[in-house]
Amino acid sequence: MSIRMLNQNAEVLNKSAALHMNINAAKGLQEVLCTNLGPKGTIKMLVGGAGDIKLTKDGNTLLKEMQIQNPTAIMIARTAVAQDDSSGDGTTSTVLFIGELMKQSERCIEEGTHPRFLVDGFEVAKRATLEFLETFKTPVVMGDQPDREILKMVARTTLRTKLYEGLADQLTDIVVNAVLCIRQSDEPIDLFMVEIMHMRHKFDVDTRLIEGLVLDHGSRHPDMKRRAENCYILTANVSLEYEKSEINAGFFYSNAEQREKMVSAERRQVDERVKKIIELKNKVCSGTDKNFVVINQKGIDPPSLDLLARAGIIALRRAKRRNMERLVLACGGEAINSVDDLTEDCLGWAGLVYEHVLGEEKYTFVENVKNPHSCTILIKGPNDHTIAQIKDAVRDGLRSVKNTVEDEAVVLGAGAFEMAARKHLMDNVKKTVKGRAQLGVKAFADALLVIPKTLAENSGLDTQDVIVALENEHDRGLVVGLNHNSGEPVDPEMEGIYDNYIVKRQIINSGPIIASQLLLVDEVIRAGRNMRKPT
Amino acid sequence: MREVVTVQVGGHANFVGSHFWNFQDELLGLADDPAADAAFRAAPLDMDVLYRAGETLQGVPTYCPRLVSVGSRGSLGSLSSSGAPGLSTAASEQLNITTWSGNVTRSVAKPHGRNLFLQSLAEDQIASTSNGGSNSQKNVEDKDLVESLENSVNFWTDYTKVQYHPQSLYEMNGSWTDFEKFDNFGTAREVVSEWSQMEDMNERLRFFVEECDHIQGIQFIVDDSGGFSSVAAQFLETIADDYTNTPVLLYCVRDPVTHGSARNQRETITRSLHDAVSFSKLSSFCSLVVPIGLPTLSQSYLSPFLSIQDAKPFHSSAISAAAIHTITVPFRLQNAGPASNLAHSSGNIDIRELAHIISDQGRQNKVTALDVAMPAPSLKDGNDLWNIKSLHSLTPEISDEEEDPYSVESLVVHGVLRAGGQRASISQVKDSVCAAYECRATKPKFSHLSVSPCPLPIPLPFPSFFRSNIGRHGEIVGSHSEGTLPKGSLDVESIPMAARLRSSNAVLPFIERRSLSLQKLGVARGALGTQILRDWGFGKEEIEELSEHLLKMVRMFHPEDGLTSDSDYD
Repeated sequence: MSIRMLNQNAEVLNKSAALHMNINAAKGLQEVLCTNLGPKGTIKMLVGGAGDIKLTKDGNTLLKEMQIQNPTAIMIARTAVAQDDSSGDGTTSTVLFIGELMKQSERCIEEGTHPRFLVDGFEVAKRATLEFLETFKTPVVMGDQPDREILKMVARTTLRTKLYEGLADQLTDIVVNAVLCIRQSDEPIDLFMVEIMHMRHKFDVDTRLIEGLVLDHGSRHPDMKRRAENCYILTANVSLEYEKSEINAGFFYSNAEQREKMVSAERRQVDERVKKIIELKNKVCSGTDKNFVVINQKGIDPPSLDLLARAGIIALRRAKRRNMERLVLACGGEAINSVDDLTEDCLGWAGLVYEHVLGEEKYTFVENVKNPHSCTILIKGPNDHTIAQIKDAVRDGLRSVKNTVEDEAVVLGAGAFEMAARKHLMDNVKKTVKGRAQLGVKAFADALLVIPKTLAENSGLDTQDVIVALENEHDRGLVVGLNHNSGEPVDPEMEGIYDNYIVKRQIINSGPIIASQLLLVDEVIRAGRNMRKPT
Repeated sequence: MREVVTVQVGGHANFVGSHFWNFQDELLGLADDPAADAAFRAAPLDMDVLYRAGETLQGVPTYCPRLVSVGSRGSLGSLSSSGAPGLSTAASEQLNITTWSGNVTRSVAKPHGRNLFLQSLAEDQIASTSNGGSNSQKNVEDKDLVESLENSVNFWTDYTKVQYHPQSLYEMNGSWTDFEKFDNFGTAREVVSEWSQMEDMNERLRFFVEECDHIQGIQFIVDDSGGFSSVAAQFLETIADDYTNTPVLLYCVRDPVTHGSARNQRETITRSLHDAVSFSKLSSFCSLVVPIGLPTLSQSYLSPFLSIQDAKPFHSSAISAAAIHTITVPFRLQNAGPASNLAHSSGNIDIRELAHIISDQGRQNKVTALDVAMPAPSLKDGNDLWNIKSLHSLTPEISDEEEDPYSVESLVVHGVLRAGGQRASISQVKDSVCAAYECRATKPKFSHLSVSPCPLPIPLPFPSFFRSNIGRHGEIVGSHSEGTLPKGSLDVESIPMAARLRSSNAVLPFIERRSLSLQKLGVARGALGTQILRDWGFGKEEIEELSEHLLKMVRMFHPEDGLTSDSDYD
């Protein structure tokens, strides 16, 4: 209370009020997100003040869209989003788990348990659960030829929680192939090498994978070909426009003639560069039916385009910086920064390059490349919010495949892991703990059930029935999960429902940390905030 | 034709931009209007410099600004980010979701009401497509529209009449950043560090730059009073990387409201540090910096002609927008060559040349003060001197000292009238201005003059802040009498303008103050602000670098005692 003497405007919440504030915030956030979970969850349609539409079933997106004010909720939300940043999924589960831990604790605290005991119990339970996860996970051998089926199962499990089944299954193949395409042995997978491009055109089911690259611009010269086969690709970062060079090289001239001279000198430099490219083209293409394409990160001005067009070269200017990298991975060759020593080795290769025009938007497809290490997922959809939602789903799908490849393990889904972990905690771990910390272990174990419970609830099933049925099976030593259609226990392995190991691990890891911190708060002081300018 | 791409970042920058584009839209409209002033119909300004022609997916041709506007989430009011009015609530309810077969919950934010002006704009559009637009049906009078704008502007989109390109408007996702407290350099860290948002902004810009054949430069308007300056700094850095030789003309605009007095010492420190850091960061990635934004406009020398209410961003942004419009006039004058008809315009210059003239001579100083005369005084008959004293600075914290033998200036005068009320000819204006320059006690080292006959058009959605002494064409008639209602766009058609960019030692105090505060609060041993800077994510070396950058800018003004000026700060 001494804070009051320092600052009369300070608001202080004492122990139980502080605790309740935290618990309520956690429960509130849980309530918002719980309908999201699983393949039977509810999609949220957010309509903004101006009628902008956003569709999402992703906890992460939803948390970012909400203007959360409550400081506790912000803390939880940050943890959940950090989860997404590092492993790509599990935001909703994290929020649910934290909320449930708080809910279970509330019951114990009301009965007089000190939060400290619960926190100690959490710590024991967390460690035990993480150990259990190591034994429970299903190892997957990656090697040179990864098991496509298991990757597909993981991707499908993720995608089916975001999109309807038909589309999810279609995208499953796309994301798996995309990741396998960019995967190079002994190197970490860089998902940025999968370009995600969209066209507002046709339908969601027209979404496809292109082994090669799609650029969102076209050539800017009327005489350049719109379609070419057997193309050499020159990936360049060379300015092909006339401009005054770097600082202090401005024009100092005293008459018009001198000015003309200087201008033409500058122009000549640019022309020289263009000529070198044309020379190379003539060297590699003349006498064959091969074509030549220049994709430049810098600008190309009309006179240069003219020269190139006359030489039968297709040229694109101002390519995305990241596409320089992608082009080299897709087509081969190297990205050049100067035209001085051009050789054939610098060039990449594509079987087909063509332009596609939609209104004022142009797209250039670079396809039929030889063993590509970069590819493009081309998303199509009738409107912006559909495209945005598919894009989010594709990102999650890609992450899940990448995680699997890197983890070399997966975890049985549909609530099977949570049921098994709870049984393990109750049967084996709880006994080893002395005193009231046992309550913490129990609270933790019960909190794990939030996942199967919510899955059941979202599928319109009776939670009690489901949990009892699942527990019975587990007691018989069978590892089962929930069939969201029938409500019956089902073997996730048979159904091909797998989750990411890393995602589960993170949820188990971060959930109790935040919950413990919130439980141990015994005073909330709100000062300063109100004193800022009243805007 | 040399294209300019415009970038607006931050709240007030978009307010300014909205006025700016309204002027351009008005010019476009007047050029086709047979009833308009001849100065507009001659269309001496090449609008293709700022605008691009395109078409929609349906094949309808469009003519939109080459613009990337970055704002906080929800700052677009009733305009959707695609540039079109959004779906109505009813329409969104009927929308079926094709990507999910399960349940749907709708969460609908309270729609932002459209004010009278936007409503009438929408009605006009419908009318013009259905029956060619019959004015008799107009049920809202222009007077009401103007009045409603005076009282109901909450968003910059509330008074914009321009059709924006779907790629133009970008709403920044602040995750949990509360935008009301988005008031210093550090608060945007989350946004800036989130790779995808910066990438999105760059993509938007690339869209507009890619289609330019000869880009002359980028004009960048930033609201540097808050977290947006760090977004802009990041943006500028990638621009400098990606478009190496493209000059960037940077306007730092501020709402007078943000100058309110600080509440406590910590806030004072935070603000000084913010000013110093953001100025140092922003100025390192551009060719010219123009700080705009006096702490008060209502009390300024503009007050004899304009009654501005500082609390309304609608008002204050109009002044900055008018000044920026004037500065951009020479970029759009037709390149006539030295000998061709001078009656049309004179002194076309592009951004690169402007930057070169101002910052590459003598002192390498790229911080310029912006002076403006609104309205610009008429030429007097008989007396040939144009009144240079009518130019007053919009740049804060500069010294009043006019006389600097090393100063470099670029003056733009457009739409000036003669005593009788007719438009003055180009040569008359030139003679008069040159004569005035000749008479100055200390002549600037170099000055450039651009003249155009086309005045600043006053569009309907413009604040009613002209005092009664302003005539229909912006001439000054008699003296202002107290108690009369201010005039608005219905009474004033156009305004002659003059604006000047000035690189002289007048801006030295502005830079020095920032340099000093960073030195004192950030770099010095045991400085009070070290912790704040650390919270903003700056390491010790980075702070020193920023400080060194500022010191270097100060040193430009003391070429003779290059190194000794260091010691002033110890």
